[in-house]
Amino acid sequence: MLVAFVVSVHAQVPYERLLKAESDPQNWMTYAGSYKSHRYSALDQINRKNVASLKLAWAYQIQRAGIVETSPLVVDGVMYLTEPPSTVTALDVRSGRPLWTYSPNIPPDVIVIGSPPVNRGVAILDDLVYVGTVHGHLIALDSKSGTVRWDITVGDNKSGYYLTLAPLALDGKIVVGVSGAETGIRGFIDAYDAKTGKLAWRTYTIPAPGEPGFETWGKGNGWQTGGGSTWLTGSFDPELNLLYWATGNPAPDWNADNRPGDNLYTDSVLALDPSTGKIKWHFQFTPEDVHDWDSNETMILFEAQIGGRERKLLAQANRNGFYYVLDRATGEFLTGVPYAKQTWADGLDAKGRPFRKKGIAPSLEGTLVFPNIGGAANWFSPSYSPQTKLFYQAAREMGTIYFKGAAEYKPGTAFTGGGGRHVQGDDASGAIRALDATTGKMKWEFPLLSPGYTSLLSTAGGLVFGGSEEGNFFALDAETGKPLWDTQIGGAVRGIPMSYAVDGKQYIAIAAGFTLFVFSL
Amino acid sequence: MRIALLSLVIAFVLPVVSAAQSATDVAEGKKLFSGLCVTCHGFDGAGGAGPPLNRPRLLSAPDDASLRNIIAEGIPNRGMPRVRRVTDDEMRQLVAYVRSIGKIARPAVRGDAARGGQLYAKLGCAGCHIVNGTGGSLGPELTSIGWIRGPEYLRQAVLEPAARLPQGNLPIPARGYNEFLPVTVVMKDGAEVRGIRLNEDVFTIQIRDLTGKFHSVRKSDAAVVRKEIGASLMPSYANRLAGGEIDDLVAYLSRLGGAL
Repeated sequence: MLVAFVVSVHAQVPYERLLKAESDPQNWMTYAGSYKSHRYSALDQINRKNVASLKLAWAYQIQRAGIVETSPLVVDGVMYLTEPPSTVTALDVRSGRPLWTYSPNIPPDVIVIGSPPVNRGVAILDDLVYVGTVHGHLIALDSKSGTVRWDITVGDNKSGYYLTLAPLALDGKIVVGVSGAETGIRGFIDAYDAKTGKLAWRTYTIPAPGEPGFETWGKGNGWQTGGGSTWLTGSFDPELNLLYWATGNPAPDWNADNRPGDNLYTDSVLALDPSTGKIKWHFQFTPEDVHDWDSNETMILFEAQIGGRERKLLAQANRNGFYYVLDRATGEFLTGVPYAKQTWADGLDAKGRPFRKKGIAPSLEGTLVFPNIGGAANWFSPSYSPQTKLFYQAAREMGTIYFKGAAEYKPGTAFTGGGGRHVQGDDASGAIRALDATTGKMKWEFPLLSPGYTSLLSTAGGLVFGGSEEGNFFALDAETGKPLWDTQIGGAVRGIPMSYAVDGKQYIAIAAGFTLFVFSL
Repeated sequence: MRIALLSLVIAFVLPVVSAAQSATDVAEGKKLFSGLCVTCHGFDGAGGAGPPLNRPRLLSAPDDASLRNIIAEGIPNRGMPRVRRVTDDEMRQLVAYVRSIGKIARPAVRGDAARGGQLYAKLGCAGCHIVNGTGGSLGPELTSIGWIRGPEYLRQAVLEPAARLPQGNLPIPARGYNEFLPVTVVMKDGAEVRGIRLNEDVFTIQIRDLTGKFHSVRKSDAAVVRKEIGASLMPSYANRLAGGEIDDLVAYLSRLGGAL
């Protein structure tokens, strides 16, 4: 009894624990499960042989209206869940009962242009839980009570900055990116002191005059409103001491008249020194983008033999329809192949630069191009299994008729220069594809009815969990793609699956519609 | 009836001039409209899969504020998508153009709606379609069809029903799927079901057969699930209508829902 009154002097989740997240699969302590962003669980209690008897353990009804795209964390019996737009709720992982909830004061005139007002999860470090908000704040909460420890402004929401991503906790620092390219922000990546919220460094994704890359914006002022958002969580290699953060589309999205050139570093990956924010290398996926193909998609870090030697690699299934593999120490382009229908490029050159086709630019009368505005991939998580060495990705097979329009910059309003109309319904489809991670060659696919927004989780039980827009949630054989279990959960699956264990029992969590579902044997 | 129609037509040919409307806005708006809107609303707003807009009064958009709102927010479950991300100027131009086509003379209605109504009864259309609560429910309800569809679309729907199935008019299935899509399912035991698709997901499909009976099918239990894209359960009436009768039928359908 006395023990209960002793104040803990040890931080609950020190950085060292995050470093070893892969060997602690009972917990899920970072957005994508580990710094390598595999979204892979080493738990194997639920496996190919028994997954057919998976049952609902408990459910939690989301208390706030909106689209739920959260990836919960679980640490030592407590789940940290976000609800739209920027609420954090702690749940008992055994019963699903809430322990505390925190909602920031979001002003009624908050500006969220470019995505729905969603949140994709929190970060945890030591005894604090960190959430980014749609009014542009980063807030640190006491992990035991949900009480605010500090609350700082990352970007001015009046100019269109807002946050939807799960922050990334490093050694003593919290790293975040911003949304807002559809209002013509100038994107950046920020690192804050984890204890105080003081800015440690800021790296803009668009170079200022005199900096390398500035010449890729033409002679006008397009760079000042050039977008390059940083709205999804990056990956980290502690051995190379490199932080990988990807960037979004240039602004205006569909009209490049004021930004002739490659528009560095939009639609790129930046390798940063986590102590200073200095750019060590960059690779641009889509130069002078006019289709809104943000390159923020989750980057998976893995190792493989290429050309007879072990390489440290970074892979991404890009919104533009190509699967890329880079050397993550140097940024060298190694592989780039389509994983979904694309009609805009005649392949990539030896350095990964696309051979852009003619006649693919948005126009007044509309131009049909694949992939669609939402992309072949988007925010939803891929997964990589070290068991199968496959990269699992939900691909969207869909075209858009792209329109070019006028663009006039007014702070905090849409600065997009056009739009698009989807070719949808029975004329579109989706698939979950398993790619050889090194070559991008497809090993199997599982067809989906609609182009989905489903994130994937692979497990040591030989399974891949995913969902559909129609509310199916299912487990596939990770080696063959054969469906082994499925259930209908009644709402589009936009949540991000994860797994944890408590009391020796493995659970799979997924949010769909307005509910979080947790399954076990 | 004929006299009433004629007087309406005359009312529309009277030119109405708005001083506030800039000719430049109308011209620019027409360009935007030609890219964004003609697929459904037809050239010059004559209607198609979407309602005609060349009317002096738009039921859902009686004033410019509500028209702007519909363009920006769409009409959920009516197939009208949101047109987000237009600038204020572009919005003003679109509104100016849509209002301008409401003041253009409409082509005279070719058919006789009263005779069309008699044809509707004679041909047995009510076997599959409900109008004002009466009729069979295998096909789409037609109570307001004249408000929802343009005359050219209605003509095609009678002559070539398979050419274009409705999309986006029902809340289920959503996201632009073909509505009333014929499907044939052959179960592994050889049993066969043909009907219209009510809904579908990755693992299951829901069907209403020609007798109205509901079938729930798990796809893995079926040997064949054939979605008959490009087909319709409605027969073509091209060979069953004498000269001019199609005009009468279209005139009747065009008036359903209070539209001209």
